[in-house]
Amino acid sequence: MAAKIDFKRCVGCGRCYDLCPIDVFTWDEEVNMPRVTYEEECWHCGICWMECPKRAIDITFPASFW
Amino acid sequence: MALEQLVDKIIKTDVLVIGGGIAGCPAAIKAAEHGLDVTIVEKSKIERSGSAGQGIDHYGIFPRDGITKMELLRRWEAYQSRFNGDGRFGDPNIIYKYYDSAFWALEELEKMGIPMKWDDGEFYWMPHGRYGGVNRIMLRVHWQNIKPYMAGVLKESGVNVLNRIMIVDLLTNNDKIVGATAINTRTGEFIIIKAKAVIIATGLFARCYDPETPLFWKYKFRYHWCPATVSGDGWATAYRSGAELANMDITGWHFRARDDLTLSFGNLNLNDGIAGKFLTWKGEEFIFANAHKYHELEQNGKTPIYQTLEHLPDDYHKRMEVAYVDERLISFKIAEDRGFNPRTHWYELMPNKPLNFITASGISIDENFKASAKGLYAIGDCAAGFHSCGHAVVSGLLVGDSINTYVAEAGDLAVDEAQVKSQKQVALAPLAVKKGTEPMELECAIRYICERYVGQFKSEGKMREGLKRLASLRRVFLPSLMANNPHYLMRCLEVRNIMDLTEVHIKACLERMETRGNFIRLDYPEKDPSRDNMLTFQHIENGKMKLEIRQVPELKPEYARERK
Repeated sequence: MAAKIDFKRCVGCGRCYDLCPIDVFTWDEEVNMPRVTYEEECWHCGICWMECPKRAIDITFPASFW
Repeated sequence: MALEQLVDKIIKTDVLVIGGGIAGCPAAIKAAEHGLDVTIVEKSKIERSGSAGQGIDHYGIFPRDGITKMELLRRWEAYQSRFNGDGRFGDPNIIYKYYDSAFWALEELEKMGIPMKWDDGEFYWMPHGRYGGVNRIMLRVHWQNIKPYMAGVLKESGVNVLNRIMIVDLLTNNDKIVGATAINTRTGEFIIIKAKAVIIATGLFARCYDPETPLFWKYKFRYHWCPATVSGDGWATAYRSGAELANMDITGWHFRARDDLTLSFGNLNLNDGIAGKFLTWKGEEFIFANAHKYHELEQNGKTPIYQTLEHLPDDYHKRMEVAYVDERLISFKIAEDRGFNPRTHWYELMPNKPLNFITASGISIDENFKASAKGLYAIGDCAAGFHSCGHAVVSGLLVGDSINTYVAEAGDLAVDEAQVKSQKQVALAPLAVKKGTEPMELECAIRYICERYVGQFKSEGKMREGLKRLASLRRVFLPSLMANNPHYLMRCLEVRNIMDLTEVHIKACLERMETRGNFIRLDYPEKDPSRDNMLTFQHIENGKMKLEIRQVPELKPEYARERK
């Protein structure tokens, strides 16, 4: 649900972490990768999805939006 | 204790702009052009923050093509009355000033290098108006990247840009605003920004009501506008500092599209001026339904109602799709996932209900965008009666262009240490609470009060009950808000702002003993003629809310003369 990172594609550029207006991502210093930490705050605006240079982010819409 | 020991960082600047949206950025850029030292703080990241974060597809309202400023003003007032009933709901002089400056602002944007023209190098004036008529007064723009553009111009302009900074409260010296305290929402740093003048540009307020698509489970931020924006931080901080809020009884009213593509709710026709059709479930067409009309349709078994574009030819849909790309790219993904075709879909419209304070509310300003506290300005969606991206840009540029005169005579005023200390205490308190209340839980409790006790059909008993419950929430749960990191600390501070504004909202509704437009009091079903052209203003005086009902100014005669 919400923003989901495909770690096979993610190169750790940090754009999603940098740009998310709600700050749902945090940065995992150990592996240099983003994490979706505050998933319940995602408002599905799609900014991470449209800005990701590797198309590593998918946004899925939960049943409660149907 | 010295100020330096009290805080993690002290920043000194001429002008502090709070909020890096499409009002704040132009204001900061323009003020810096005048040689001022400007600092802009943004709760998110300027490149993609605020209501314009995903992009903008249409911009501005211009007096052109035979339509005068007076005619635009008349239309603005008619638009207000469509929701709010008879009378004026904002200072016409401010609105006039906006139309008067629209072309100047357009030139300024072009000078900044913001792309204003269409692919063929010409301006693309929208062929049709909001209500289907030909008007050619709005520009269609490819502004998916308006925020990255503005962030780029900011960088070159020498403005000090601070991202991920949330304002806690404004600092005052007697009757003057002299800066603000803030936290870094990632590091938790507590900072002071000393400023000769403060411009608030934090956008709308909405989070005391449920979102547009309220069928959420755990995603409680499903607002049409950026939820970080609509916590009303600017309004609440201005209010607590003594500045006046206006029209807090007037909420925005819109139908919400049940199958929201997040592009528009019930006003698909706005985008590129394409007129949608409103239909009952049986396919009977109707023009426009306000709260009363919807109620009537429901009573007669004619709901759900729908809006559709299916009757339009192909080229209209192509234009519409470009608008989606420009403003909300994610719309395509939503339609695809949900398995419907936006071209033929019937968008179910949910009942009209209060939603956000979009039509006329906000920080009360004069013709020069000055709030009632000295040294404080409000621009964009923050300012009362001034809501749209065009208004935001123009008001930002106008204030940025003129604020140097105030700054020159403002002097260098001291910051009150005791005030900083108490603001710090309030701001950081949730970090020390271990077994307390999560901010979202309290926020939902507040939203439920507005939904249940205020809502569309208001009455004194319900609102008094709501206020009572709100007061007990404040007493019991505000001190127990907990945050185990700076991120949740930001949410706690937002809840505090939402709570303050909710109280202002309910008290304003309670004092308005009449029914007018979409403002419905079941216990006062008639219009009160003594409230014609009267607005509600509220501010804090000696710790208590003071409510005044004052008349909207008339349009100045020198402006009105243009009529001929």
